[in-house]
Amino acid sequence: MATVSQSISLKVLFFGRLKEIVGHAEESLASTDAATIEQLFALYAARHPELAKFRPSLVASRNQEFAAWDTPLHTGDEVAFLPPVSGG
Amino acid sequence: MATPLHDDICQLVRDPINVAALVHHVRAPEDGAIFTFDGFVRNQSHSRATLYLDYEAYETMALAKMREIAAQLHEKYKIHRVAIAHRLGRLQIGETSVFIAVSAPHRAAAFDACRFAIDTLKRTVPIWKKEYFEDGAVWADGELPPAPAATPHAKPAS
Repeated sequence: MATVSQSISLKVLFFGRLKEIVGHAEESLASTDAATIEQLFALYAARHPELAKFRPSLVASRNQEFAAWDTPLHTGDEVAFLPPVSGG
Repeated sequence: MATPLHDDICQLVRDPINVAALVHHVRAPEDGAIFTFDGFVRNQSHSRATLYLDYEAYETMALAKMREIAAQLHEKYKIHRVAIAHRLGRLQIGETSVFIAVSAPHRAAAFDACRFAIDTLKRTVPIWKKEYFEDGAVWADGELPPAPAATPHAKPAS
C-alpha cells in the first residue's frame, strides 16, 4: 500500500449481548487499521471471537444514524454496533 | 436551536411513565380524538413465566429516532400532537414500558398514526430488553432495523 496510514480516534459503543461479550459498553479507540465500519468490527471480532457469529444479525450506526458496513470512518466518529432492536 | 414545529413530547424515563400527563399534553380544544397505545410487561414469553424485564437504550440515538417518528406522523397523517415515552431499567409484570398518545381533529388519522408509531418504534428505535425467568435470562428476539446496504459513493476496496 502506498498510502500512509493515519491514526484516527473513535468512540465505539456496544449494546445488548454485544456489550456482554466485549465486557463494557463504550471505549475510545485510536486505530490505524479501521478505515471502514466493517474493518472496525473485524478488529473487535479478532479480539473477541464470539462476536463474529453475530455479524449477520447486526446493524451499525455512525454518529447516530444507521450506516452501511462500508462507511468510511473519520476521527471523532461515534460508531455503535446494534443487535436486533426489541423495544416496546 | 430551532423552535420545534409541533409541540410533541419524546422521552426516555427511568421512573413509571406518567400516562395521564402525556394524554393531557396532546389534548387540545381543536381536537376530537386521542388514540393511545399502552405497551406493558407480559407475565410470560414463549410459555415461560417471566419474572421481570431490563430495558436498555442507545439513549441519544433512541431519542433522535423517536423524534423522527413523531415528525413522520405529522407528514403522513392529519394529526395535532404526539407524545411518545419509553421506560428503561427494570420493569415488573404489568408495568408500562412504552406509551404513545396521538391527538387529531378526526379519529381516523390518530388511529392510523398511533399504529404506525408503535410499529416503527419497534423496528427502528435502538432499545433492547432482556427477559428474566426462573432458570435464566435471554435477550428478547428483535427486529433488525433497515440500514443502508452500501454507501452511495463507496469505491471497492483497493
